[in-house]
Amino acid sequence: MLNKRVLKAMLLCGAILLLVAGLASAKTDHKEYKNSKLDDCKDCHNGAAIVGNHGGNREHRLLAQRASQNCADCHQQSFCLDCHKGGNLEVYKNKSLSSTGETMPTTHRSDFLSIHAIKAKDDPQNCYRCHEQRFCSDCHAKIPNRGGMRVKDHRAVGNTQVYFLNRASSPADNSRHAAEARRNLQSCEGCHPDAQVCSQCHTLTAGAKVFKSAH
Amino acid sequence: MGLIMKLSRLSLTLLVIPCLPVLSHAAELNLTSSTQYLWFQDFVADKQQNDIAQYLRLNVTKLDKAGKADFFAYGRATQMITSDDGLKGRLYYAYFSYRDAFNDHLDLRAGRTYVNSAATSGTIDGLFLQAKNLGPLGLTAYGGREVLFLNKEEVGSGNAMSGGSVSLDAPKSTHVEVSYGNKFRDGRMSRENVGLDYSTTPVDMFNTYGRLKYDTVSERFNELLFGAKLVPLTDLMLRVEYLETRPTFDNNSIYRIFEVDKYREINAAVEYQFTPDYRLNLKYAKEYFGEDADANVYDIGLTARPIKDLTFNGSYEKRDGFSGRLSGFRLNAGYDIAKAKIQAGIDYDDFTREDSRSDTATKYWTGVGYQFNKLIGLTARVEWDVNYRDSDSWQGFTAVNINY
Repeated sequence: MLNKRVLKAMLLCGAILLLVAGLASAKTDHKEYKNSKLDDCKDCHNGAAIVGNHGGNREHRLLAQRASQNCADCHQQSFCLDCHKGGNLEVYKNKSLSSTGETMPTTHRSDFLSIHAIKAKDDPQNCYRCHEQRFCSDCHAKIPNRGGMRVKDHRAVGNTQVYFLNRASSPADNSRHAAEARRNLQSCEGCHPDAQVCSQCHTLTAGAKVFKSAH
Repeated sequence: MGLIMKLSRLSLTLLVIPCLPVLSHAAELNLTSSTQYLWFQDFVADKQQNDIAQYLRLNVTKLDKAGKADFFAYGRATQMITSDDGLKGRLYYAYFSYRDAFNDHLDLRAGRTYVNSAATSGTIDGLFLQAKNLGPLGLTAYGGREVLFLNKEEVGSGNAMSGGSVSLDAPKSTHVEVSYGNKFRDGRMSRENVGLDYSTTPVDMFNTYGRLKYDTVSERFNELLFGAKLVPLTDLMLRVEYLETRPTFDNNSIYRIFEVDKYREINAAVEYQFTPDYRLNLKYAKEYFGEDADANVYDIGLTARPIKDLTFNGSYEKRDGFSGRLSGFRLNAGYDIAKAKIQAGIDYDDFTREDSRSDTATKYWTGVGYQFNKLIGLTARVEWDVNYRDSDSWQGFTAVNINY
């Protein structure tokens, strides 16, 4: 209910702002600056509005998604897709290849297969900006137990795994199981889309927030 | 023979479509092609694989006398040589564009195109409309079949997405945008988001920006971002950001019933340009994962151009806390000699994955590009990896690039 109120307030704020008549700031055509060096941009952009290389990682997202954005004055769609969808038309020499032979953005440092479990935690939602959820299960379903590459907490304990609680599980195991599931639920769905593995112990009822206070 | 036929068919299709109207008008054609041979370590198959990839981008502009109609297409075909996988392809986009219709008030794109808003983004086979020159107002609307790419090809069908946005660029240096987007899977609405973006620069040295993205299916915000920048000196920028994200699930996913934790992050960054040739950046982020789990991330980077045509980048990152520890540096340099561009670098990470293992990963790489003339160039990259999986692994590519 509260969220609905917040949503309505958000929409109302947006609507009011849209109704505010103001001076239209003329959009500058940047085509003639297409081949300029970034330093030259400072001749005009010397304040806080847009500085440096288009404003940094998260800010560039906001700039690119504006209805009035002028990215196309200098960039074609392929420029975006080569980073976000694994293309390499521009043949970047500093971009590495993934395990499937696709070009990765430079954010994927050293051996990304080894460190992705750590790096993916720096905003877990960030991965899904480029990758479909099935991208994870494409590997994890095929190599669930090879070497040290198994998914965290799928380690074997006795004749079961850490994630499968039983009568021998300690309260600490219980608490850890719940906490990990709450933090990484999206990755659970990647390999277990129908949650059958959860339903072996939990009663799953569609439409109810059954775990809201249960853990 | 089959591969050549398929590649020829793809190239021919891309070429023929825009040529139809060209027959009656002298349009401008720009063709960019890159033919690549790649070798890489396939972790799943546990062997080295070899691919051939053909990239093709086609721009046909000024299809009409007024110069308002264009056609753009970009696609890739790949063939794995070392396995039985067949020819795979991705058509990233192929759309007709018409600009400045209705007295410069409407731009439209029809075909396969990438669409982007705070509420939702993706590739569609459909229509994108943008109303413009309406004073401070801007409007977009889009809809069509959603296109998904996975494993070097297009996957899925029958899904749809649509949306739009209303924006206001007023008062001066202020942008406010409300967007709406939805996705349909198997005939049912699976996602519905409402977004609000804003950015304002009330005084030249201060800017603040933010985003709110609300998932109406989960009845939750799945993204909140607030940022502020201060530029007290021309070459000094200070930035603080607060980010909060939360996973949300499709309407038909059983995972909707589970409670999830938010990810929260507060970060502060400093960027300083000593001279146009020397820049320094520092960043600290505190990350929260719920249940008292948190992490600290420190980042420092330097960009330098000590002499003309030589560029140097160095950075160090340190992370500790939930999920693991990481400490690593990246160094790379680039040098231009006449028609050749050379780059080389090293990545090194010392890491500990929580409940898993500790190790190091090192990557040494070098790349060379040589432009014979405006039409043709060659690029090659070689990488040597020393890590947990391979103590001596090589990968890279060579490419022939044509820009006509």
